[in-house]
Amino acid sequence: MYQLIIKQPYFFNLNHLINMKKKILLLLLAASAFSYASKAQDTVKTTADAPLVLYGSVDTYYKDDFSGHANIPTSFASDNNSISIGMVDLGLKKTVGNASFVGELSFGPRSDASIPTSGYHIQNLYVSYNLTSKLNASAGYMSTFIGYEVISPSGNFNYSTSYLFTNGPFQNAGFKLTYAFSDKVSLMAGIFNDEWNAYTSAHDVSTFGAQLTVTPVKNWTAYLNVATGPTSGTEFDLTTAYQITTAFKLGLNAATFSPAHYSFGGTYGFSGVALYPQIAVSKAVTLGLREEYFKTNSSSDAALWNDISHPAAPLPGGSVLASTLTANIKAGPLTFIPEIRLDNINNKTNTIFTDNNGAPTTSATQFVLAAVYAF
Amino acid sequence: MLSVKAAVAQKDLLSFDEHNKYIYYQVVDQPGLSIDTLQDRALYFAKTAYPKNTVKKGETSGNYTGTGKFLIVSGLAVAKHIDGEINYTYYIECKDQKYRYWLTDFVFTPYKVDRYGNSVPEQGVDIPLESGLSKLDKKQSDSYLNQAGAFSKQFGDKLKAYMIKASALPPKEIKKKVISTKDW
Repeated sequence: MYQLIIKQPYFFNLNHLINMKKKILLLLLAASAFSYASKAQDTVKTTADAPLVLYGSVDTYYKDDFSGHANIPTSFASDNNSISIGMVDLGLKKTVGNASFVGELSFGPRSDASIPTSGYHIQNLYVSYNLTSKLNASAGYMSTFIGYEVISPSGNFNYSTSYLFTNGPFQNAGFKLTYAFSDKVSLMAGIFNDEWNAYTSAHDVSTFGAQLTVTPVKNWTAYLNVATGPTSGTEFDLTTAYQITTAFKLGLNAATFSPAHYSFGGTYGFSGVALYPQIAVSKAVTLGLREEYFKTNSSSDAALWNDISHPAAPLPGGSVLASTLTANIKAGPLTFIPEIRLDNINNKTNTIFTDNNGAPTTSATQFVLAAVYAF
Repeated sequence: MLSVKAAVAQKDLLSFDEHNKYIYYQVVDQPGLSIDTLQDRALYFAKTAYPKNTVKKGETSGNYTGTGKFLIVSGLAVAKHIDGEINYTYYIECKDQKYRYWLTDFVFTPYKVDRYGNSVPEQGVDIPLESGLSKLDKKQSDSYLNQAGAFSKQFGDKLKAYMIKASALPPKEIKKKVISTKDW
């Protein structure tokens, strides 16, 4: 049509001008139709693939440690007698065909305490591709596959975190393959940077990680995890959750960690187990308990221990029993989380708690009220 | 305004069946087509239009049934939030010159975001749309019913397109035309 227009003779003749106008109008209509058709195709394509998805959360909290100062050293919610902020967590993801990406940014004190370089603000940044309907490949900086609890407050039932969570990895950067043998069994194996929680490797990519996922019955999933490397050490982990009835859920996390022989900078071995029974008492309210036993290995190097400014564990050879009673009260996307927590270390020689006079004590108690908005 | 009206109307496409369950039910006349042709096309539709759906033969000849699911999304036009998925059961029954189909057993499962940012179903939380109001707020319940109605209509439109097209049947093997350069 464009060729027809430019070939029109007598360009300034009135009739030809009218004809020209009509043709331009037709051209515009054709162009709009073409543009509409293109949009329609895009719409179809967008519908076939998942849309661009936005997700995230915002959290704030108040904590009161009964000693008058912050005592319990597990991650986040560290400010005492203060209305404090957690983080803004903002994720974007998109899948087109077999290719996907996830980019998750975070800002705030909880973010700073959970990522290696606070200026980067990256919780997840990876791409993945379905090589077949059963085999997926992913690469980038990803939340760890180890453990029950996660960094995002909307992913946890309790607001405070466990010793197993705090002492385990938060993120692993690497490349992994996941193969689904069936709906009930899948296996992930990957190679990750030598250090946990680091955007770049210190020397090499030498941590091996694997996760066997088993779903024995509907609503029960178990993950058997291992991460091992000459720099990062070795952690074996079992994470499982079973929604036994519509109201009752039981979770379990058990793990053991051995530091690498030549690791430096204050790592220590530990083992522990945490049980998470939860019961929904109404449409809006669920009550849950976290009962955790955590032990620092007695073989942990006391000299290295002194290098650690804020150990989140009892002194070598010590153990802690931490009981946390939490309620989740839902109001749409907003969840109020009142929580009372009592930690007891087995004896004073291994303790890290102090009383209101600053003297060593074996127990610490805190109350937290948090609000988490998830979208 | 028109689009809002259209969106609101989608939930009215669903009715209640004799078991007090939501149902999208249609009977379609297809003059000139035998039961054999219709059931071939119905099977081809079930296997290809929604390849992730299950499909099995119904209790009587010419009938197919299966289950499927679709995503429930909310949010802005440019960036969506995946609220969950709705699982459904579909039935297609063929007779000479007509067929009927219906979708029912709509069950909503909310999604949560896992540690990797993936949206995954919350285990053990299955909410039949009939009892949606007891577990969801009204706005959510209306939105999910609208999306279930819109999906059902789309499912039906697609089925109708498959049922009228002879090309919807598996293509017959075409003999390749070979030109011999020896004889000329």
